[in-house]
Formats: sequence, structure tokens, C-alpha cells
Amino acid sequence: MSNVAGDDERDRDGLIEQAAGAHRFRDGHGRVLTHPAWADLDEAGRVEAFERALIVRRVERALDPNGLSATAQIVLARIGAAPWHS
Amino acid sequence: MLDFSVVSDLDVHLAAIAQGDAQAFARWLSGAELRVRESLRSFAAQVDTEAVLQEALLRVWQVAPRVERDGRGDSLLRLAIRIARNLAIDELRRRRPTAVNDDALLAEIDVESTQMRASAPVDPLLRTQIVKCREQLPRKPAAALAARLEAAGGRPDDELAAELGMKINAFLQNFTRARRMLAECLRRAGVDLDAELG
Repeated sequence: MSNVAGDDERDRDGLIEQAAGAHRFRDGHGRVLTHPAWADLDEAGRVEAFERALIVRRVERALDPNGLSATAQIVLARIGAAPWHS
Repeated sequence: MLDFSVVSDLDVHLAAIAQGDAQAFARWLSGAELRVRESLRSFAAQVDTEAVLQEALLRVWQVAPRVERDGRGDSLLRLAIRIARNLAIDELRRRRPTAVNDDALLAEIDVESTQMRASAPVDPLLRTQIVKCREQLPRKPAAALAARLEAAGGRPDDELAAELGMKINAFLQNFTRARRMLAECLRRAGVDLDAELG
């Protein structure tokens, strides 16, 4: 028998984890779009995603040889700065 | 590798950034990003602060050639916070027009008097400890963490999951496990995440 409450909690946690990630799609004008997972969260989940992002960005920054989080690397890639991904 | 020396006023990079030096902007970003992100905390329930932050940092690069130092230090950081908050307010108005009367949310923070605490460069010993903790992760959480780090925000999670042969939920659960195990390992090593990684 499946644990519906447990499944719901895992689904919610997955949305939070995705929203806390740095990847964002862009529209045709290059504008950064809201993450679909963030849009599916309630307000408490969105705040949790914010706090989780603070931790994840700090870990990324600590592990990167140049001290750059994924957010910083995305921005640098957007302005065409090598060697960051495009 | 970039040379990160201890910088208390990130405006030391401003002249080079204004000349289009992306390496200087990288140094500035390393110190400024978390401070700008934290300035968006009051919007976290209403707007996607990650999207707002990325857009704001791109605009900072675009306007930097026109920014003049005002002698009070961290001119570009203070401008970045203003840009980010204004973008957040614009997004909030777009999403919820009735929220514009929420004084608590929209209250202008006093950027001029707000303590400008740029992030210090990462301590090499701390980095060594994090690497040690990372090496102790089980295979699947380690793979999920590595995929996210290598992608550096450039690819969506479903793509990363597929590449690892995982379903998206399994990938996210493995990433969560990696994050928690890393944090626990660091705690056992006496590392205060907020104090040391801020």
C-alpha cells in the first residue's frame, strides 16, 4: 500500500529542491523566467526554497575553484565571459 | 584561477568592471551575490528570487560603466540591491496587483545605512574540509551533486536526471541526501555553515 502523505511530502520536497536550484529558462527576449516548480509551491514552500538556495549557493561557492556559485556562473556565461558555460 | 584577496570594499573592482573586464566582475560577484540575495528575503514568498537575482546581476553589468563611486564604499553593491528590489517589486505588481499596498513588504530598506557585509573569500582549509566530506558521499547522492555542480545552473534537473539514468524524483531525492549529508559532515567537523560559508 502506498503512503500518500509520504509521497506528497516527497513531491513537495522535490519542488523545493528544484526551485532552490539555479537553473532558469529564459523567454524569447532573454528575460529570466520564474521556475515552474516555484510556481507550484505554496508560500511556506517558497520561503523554504529561498533558505535552501542560500545554503546550496554557499556550498557551490565553496567547492568552486574561483569561489563562484552556480548563479554567478550563469550570469557570467550570459555576458559571454569564458570559461563559464553558455 | 582567479586571484581572490580579502576585499572589504568591492568597489576596488568597479573601474575594471566599467572597462568591460569580466574577470573583475567575477570577483565582484563572488563577494556580492549572497548579500544581494539576502536583501530579497522579504519577497521570497511572493516572487522567484533566484530569477530576480539573475536578472538584477545582469543589469548591474550593463549599468556598471555609468556608476560613479560616492566615497562611501560598495557603490555597486548598494546599486545592485536597489536594482534587485525594484525588479522584485515590479514582478510582485505583475503577479499580484493588489499587493502594492503591503507596506511591510514594499518598505524601502535603508540601503545607505545597511551594513554592507560582502562575503569573504572561501578559506582554503574550509574548502579542503568540504571536499573531504564530499568524498564520503554514497555513489548516487555524489552523482547528483556532481551533476548539479558541473551544470552550474546551465541545464534543467530533468536533463541531468536522464543523463544519470534516474527519474527526476530520484535525482532530487539524491541531491537532497547529498546536501544533508554534506551539512552533517561539516557540522561534525565543527563548521558552522552560516558563519563559515557566508
